[in-house]
Amino acid sequence: MAETMLSVGIDLGTSTTQMVISKLTLSNMASAFTIPRIEITAKEILFRSEIIFTPLKAQNEIDIEKIQHFLDQQYRLSGVQRAEINIGAVIITGETARKENARSVLQGMSGYAGDFVVATAGPDLESIIAGKGAGAQEYSKQQHTSVVNFDIGGGTTNIALFHDEDLLDTACFDIGGRLIRIEQQTQKIIYIAPKLEQVIVQEQLSLRIGQVVSPADLKPLLKILVAVLENAVGLGEKNPYYELFITNKGLKLPANIVCVSFSGGVADCFYKELTDPFLYGDIGLLLGKELCQSKLFREKKVIVSKETIRATVVGAGSHTTKVSGSTITYTAAALPLKNLPVLKLSKSEETGTQEIICQAIKEKQQWFEVNQESQMIALGIEGYANPTYQQIAHLATAIVSGFSAAIARCDPLAIIVHLDNAKALGQAIFSRLPLDYPFVCLDGIQVENGDYIDIGMPLIQGSVLPVVVKTLVFE
Amino acid sequence: MVDKQEMKAMIVSILEEMTDPSSTESATKVVEKPINKQEEATVKEATEEVLEDITQIDIRKQFLVPHPADREGYLKMKAKTPARLGLWRSGPRYKTQSMLRFRADHAAAQDAVFSYVSKDLIEEMDFIEVATKCKDKDEYVTRPDLGRQFDDENIATIQQQIKGTPQIQVIVGDGLSSAAIEANIKEILPSIKQGLKMFDLDYDEKAVLFIKHARVPAMDKIGELTKAEIVCYLIGERPGLVTAESMSAYLAYRPIVGMPEARRTVISNIHSGGTPAVEAGAYIAELVSKMLQHKKSGIDLKEVE
Repeated sequence: MAETMLSVGIDLGTSTTQMVISKLTLSNMASAFTIPRIEITAKEILFRSEIIFTPLKAQNEIDIEKIQHFLDQQYRLSGVQRAEINIGAVIITGETARKENARSVLQGMSGYAGDFVVATAGPDLESIIAGKGAGAQEYSKQQHTSVVNFDIGGGTTNIALFHDEDLLDTACFDIGGRLIRIEQQTQKIIYIAPKLEQVIVQEQLSLRIGQVVSPADLKPLLKILVAVLENAVGLGEKNPYYELFITNKGLKLPANIVCVSFSGGVADCFYKELTDPFLYGDIGLLLGKELCQSKLFREKKVIVSKETIRATVVGAGSHTTKVSGSTITYTAAALPLKNLPVLKLSKSEETGTQEIICQAIKEKQQWFEVNQESQMIALGIEGYANPTYQQIAHLATAIVSGFSAAIARCDPLAIIVHLDNAKALGQAIFSRLPLDYPFVCLDGIQVENGDYIDIGMPLIQGSVLPVVVKTLVFE
Repeated sequence: MVDKQEMKAMIVSILEEMTDPSSTESATKVVEKPINKQEEATVKEATEEVLEDITQIDIRKQFLVPHPADREGYLKMKAKTPARLGLWRSGPRYKTQSMLRFRADHAAAQDAVFSYVSKDLIEEMDFIEVATKCKDKDEYVTRPDLGRQFDDENIATIQQQIKGTPQIQVIVGDGLSSAAIEANIKEILPSIKQGLKMFDLDYDEKAVLFIKHARVPAMDKIGELTKAEIVCYLIGERPGLVTAESMSAYLAYRPIVGMPEARRTVISNIHSGGTPAVEAGAYIAELVSKMLQHKKSGIDLKEVE
């Protein structure tokens, strides 16, 4: 009973933009005598687009028309109709996500990338997606070891630490191949990223816009960047600029890291002949060469990545979608749901009395009220390992009373349970709601406060729903 | 002949040696001065000690290899299977606790087969109790053919108690595990009922049959007798060493005696470590509505889906 769905991944990075279309195969992994368990069993990349430099109008503005034009063209080349796409993710990454118009780009994109496509950003999630796309997670699982993947792009380096399949931590540094841009013919500097300006001033380096440079001039700066990346996994003495380059956070536990892998555009520069050091008009090639000489290569086991420059886009297209199925309850009218903020009950709230649960839901809904205007939210709960009927009934009553205001407005309800409770809980909620009220109750999906969730249209005779859990961070 | 007094003293000294090997001195004291009071106290102390219930240990987390190269890796592997891995010694020389646990689980499995569902539960749930032709558990185990037949008296009971032709007839059978029924039935029935409501369906909870000495095909006879459109049969599964409390649900659209096995739809593995009873009930409700919609069950239903 294998069925497939098409997933699109679009990566709008600081330097490059690309897309992939993947085919995900869904199969029932349970025996014929038990309740079906639908899982994604195979991921195949059908189409890889060209890689273009992210079109910018000005330094701070992404050229949305050019991106739309590019996507139109790539869809034509792929032979896949936009309407055939079931789910996907647009990842706006690195410095691009901080550009003024990132939000409007996302809105412009959603119509352009299939009927149901979600938008995602945020350094933590990008690190995870790139690590998965690079194959670091899979390697850690197969070899029962720990792997740190460095996804070194144009503006940022996204780091994810996996141990035996589990994601342990993520980090992000403002280090990339295009922090300094150089005109290829004249070898003149045309752009220096703000954090590098600081380093240049403090180190009294003679690097400034308009100046003609040689690789030797850049060496001291590259050494600092590499030292910071070494520090990120606990190698070498702590560089004074380590803190400066942290985007949001470093790795908490750099001990016991056995393997490292590299993805992103800079990873492609490791083994290239250095005929023209400024071939790409930036410091990417030189940074790659410098990394090859680093402690990372000497002291850690370097494993070959499955994807380099395409790791993020492949991760977005193939590794973001989950399925929740068989034991779920929903009314089709409620779907699809996009960008619902997750409100997770704490353990003590969840195991409390009906009053406590109801009160907690009411209070948390208010967090999302902007100017008295209420917003739809998804309620995340842990659920019971082996519930009694009473426990489920109790929970359903509390949830319905907690959402009384939303129900009065006829907002669809979305309940996301981690443990296998959604069918019974959904039916219990159904019996307490007005007739044919739109709602979704899913399980097998773990969510946290701060996550956003998208739920797509049903697949496999309505038995499963595709789900993307994401963290939208623009700051 | 050893007299009673001496015998007691011997036991006391043995017990003391067991608890403290260095206390031979105090043991001899007891033999020298067999004062009744003191002696009773010692015996009591020894017998009151409660042994740890070894069946309470979660096998998936129990790891007996003393110096593993990768403890976490092994435990991660163990978390995925209820198999007895990492026992340290295998073959004919398991460690004592592995051996005891194996025998305890085996005993629980045997008990599940040879015990009966309590009368209290049958009364509490208001079940209509009937029995197959089997006289006792021994005959039940050795004569599967009798476990699907009813004598005239029981047939009369069924016909009297089930009035009209129910759309959905629910049956409960002890099957090979009474423990499974005791553990799951109270949770699954209300869940099925609630779930059916979502599809505008219902069953009569005052007309649930309980069959003693039940085999799966007993449902076919019930189908014939009640002319029910759907028979939903909850029955104890053959117990194993992983759990003795696993229940199955067998469902069929208009079952008749002698119908092919392929017409049954089964949901197995309903227990606390498998599909939770409440969740299984919700799933069964949806299955019932599908069967009514397509007027099919088993493989036939799979084909139309």
